[in-house]
Amino acid sequence: MQIYQEKVTRGIAFRLSALVLSVVGLIFVAMSAATYFMAREALLKNAEQNARTQAQALVQRIEARLAPISRVPLGLAYELGDDGLSDEGILRRQRQMLLDNPEIFGTAAAYEPFGRHPQQEFFAPYTFRAPLGITHINLGGPGYRYHAMDWYQIPRELGQTIWSEPYFDEGGGNTLMATCSVPFYQGQGAGHGEGRHVAGVVTADVSLDWLKRLVSSVNVLETGYAWLITRNGTYVTHPEPGVAFNETIFSRAEEAGDLDLRRIGQDMVRGGSKLVETKSLHTGKPGFLVYAPLPSTGWSLGVFSPRDELLADVNRLALVSAGLGGGGFLLLAALTAVIARGITRPLRRLCLAAREVAGGRLDAPLPEVASRDEVFELAEAFAHMQESLKEHIRDLTLATATRERIQSELRIASEIQLGILPKTFPPLPRHAEFDLFASLTPAREVGGDFYDFFPCGPDCFCFLIGDVSGKGVPAAFYMAVSRTLIKAVAESVAGAGQRRGADRHHSPLEAANLGEIQRRIPNPGHILARANNGLAEDNESCMFVTVFCAVLDFASGEVHYASAGHNPPVLLRAGARPEYLPTHGDPVAGAMTGIAFTTDTLTLNPGDALALYTDGVTEAMNPVQELYGEARLLEHLAEHDGLDVRAACQALAADVHAFASGAEQSDDITMLVLRYNGPSTANGPDTANGAATDNSSTDDSTTENRTRPGPDTT
Amino acid sequence: MECTGCKQGAFYVLSVAGRMDALTSQGFETECLARLDAGDTRIVVDLSALEYISSAGLRSILAAAKKLKAVGGDLAFCGLTGIVAEVFTVSGFAKLLPVYATRVEALARS
Repeated sequence: MQIYQEKVTRGIAFRLSALVLSVVGLIFVAMSAATYFMAREALLKNAEQNARTQAQALVQRIEARLAPISRVPLGLAYELGDDGLSDEGILRRQRQMLLDNPEIFGTAAAYEPFGRHPQQEFFAPYTFRAPLGITHINLGGPGYRYHAMDWYQIPRELGQTIWSEPYFDEGGGNTLMATCSVPFYQGQGAGHGEGRHVAGVVTADVSLDWLKRLVSSVNVLETGYAWLITRNGTYVTHPEPGVAFNETIFSRAEEAGDLDLRRIGQDMVRGGSKLVETKSLHTGKPGFLVYAPLPSTGWSLGVFSPRDELLADVNRLALVSAGLGGGGFLLLAALTAVIARGITRPLRRLCLAAREVAGGRLDAPLPEVASRDEVFELAEAFAHMQESLKEHIRDLTLATATRERIQSELRIASEIQLGILPKTFPPLPRHAEFDLFASLTPAREVGGDFYDFFPCGPDCFCFLIGDVSGKGVPAAFYMAVSRTLIKAVAESVAGAGQRRGADRHHSPLEAANLGEIQRRIPNPGHILARANNGLAEDNESCMFVTVFCAVLDFASGEVHYASAGHNPPVLLRAGARPEYLPTHGDPVAGAMTGIAFTTDTLTLNPGDALALYTDGVTEAMNPVQELYGEARLLEHLAEHDGLDVRAACQALAADVHAFASGAEQSDDITMLVLRYNGPSTANGPDTANGAATDNSSTDDSTTENRTRPGPDTT
Repeated sequence: MECTGCKQGAFYVLSVAGRMDALTSQGFETECLARLDAGDTRIVVDLSALEYISSAGLRSILAAAKKLKAVGGDLAFCGLTGIVAEVFTVSGFAKLLPVYATRVEALARS
């Protein structure tokens, strides 16, 4: 038994799972992507806003403290401009300033050369906080020519408050300082008219530690930061140690080859305010940089927010989403697989069961299907089919057994039927007056054709051929009945004729001499008439039989014959063309009672022959539906004359078979050929006239008597 | 095989066309019996359109003829041609049953 491999590699489970998961996967990915990008956009927009806001807030805070500081020296500058203070007065005012403003570390009032006292080139009292208290000195001298210094020159030239670049004050403990310088004016005219001139510069040294701390401590997300640059681009504060005061934004940009940073720097020192997307040099992360100027000092503040931290929330959302989705996806995959298996497992089992049934195990158990769905229906249908199949095969087996029984019975019937036909050739070995051969080729196991021959007197011989209407078993029955009846009638007629002959004449020899041989020869017409009555009585089935019946008189070669609707036999006169015997159109036997049949006579000369046949010969059909036909029969017999009777029959049978060329034989093919050789005196000593004489005067052996036909043997 | 018929005077004329063989001849017998049941016991069968007849056909003719005879009717034939005429002659049915050349002749009987 063949073992089937699991040929299913891409089965329902796989296809279902693959399809569902692909689609769900696609949907999930699409949704996630859309959500992520939309959330990100929203978040980034928000972040921008926040960054700007934060930077602005920081700027405000810084300005809140820086702005007031620059107003302090401005106040003193106005006072000095009025020129109402003495030298001591200036000192007192400076001292007061320090006391009032703790952020101010020191303040100077630097005059133009020879501006305060005509002989004094440098006059710049400087009050400052010393470790032991507020003290003052006079700046300026040949060693410190302050007029050339930036803190003096720049505000003087520009005519406005200037904040210096920040610096570290060594003397004051390394605090971050910046100096705010304010020019003051003296002379007539409040505006810019003649006489009004710069008289000097008031400075205030301001500690900016608080600023550094403020900016450094700005918390921007996790790794974000803020920094400050001066008007020159010098870093005041920077998260990276060592950068503040050592580098400018431009130097850093150049070192790193960062053109973006250079541009940003340029914009910042110009006082620009913007939000840009850039990459942090410090952390290497991309993100947002918001920068804004500090209006009072002209410095610029930058706040950097790393992008990934900005998007941390979105990313977290995406991760959670992906996690949930992935988990859900796996769950879905598992469920789908389970469901698909739930479908395919019973299908597979059903498939196996089907193979078993197909292989012959009709009682193969079918799998149980738990669900009540289409698979269940399939299993039910299959079970139903299995039952039907079993029943069908039972019926078929039964029918086959029956048919085989009938076949075997038919075979036996065939044997019986063919057995009842005489088959001894020559039929009367001692009588060389004639030769006879007959053959019957049935179409089916049993059929309706028959022939018969038997002696019907001391010197006559009856031979006949018949064909029952129809085919098969019914015809075979009727054939048996017909043949038996005809023979019985023939023998009865023959017997009656003999007795009559015997009664009337003491000596059969005398009777013969008186020419009353005819009485002793049975009359075929009478035979047929009596047989017909016998057959037509109680013939519900309306079957009938055609018969050609003849009696040969050995001595004279006379043949008496009658035909009941049978095909006219062929008369084969030696040396002449074959011809059909004329018929009288007497009806078939068995149809109606009381029919009279005509008896004709012809005389055969030695060498003449008669060929009897049934319509199985003339109506044999070939594949193109042509019939063998009467004409062809005559032609064949003409061509094959001179053959002995056996050869003649065989040749004819062969010819008909050849003509049929493979087409199915539809009717029995029956033939009988009789050749008359002449009266017995022309032949051996064992034949004699008046065979009724049992006691032969010849010295034949006793076997002679036994084999000699006579009334006893009929 | 097709049977069509109509009453003509005292007779019922049945026209048979096609072939009368083992398959179709039962139909002929049935038709005759139907006519018998309907009371038409004198039937004239016109075979001019019959192409072929086998021994089964002859049998059904015989059966029909016997049944009609039993009730005092008869079965006559006309219009025989070709093979059908030959079969009737050889089998002697032409002597068993009344056969006429034309329908008119067949109907001219009393």
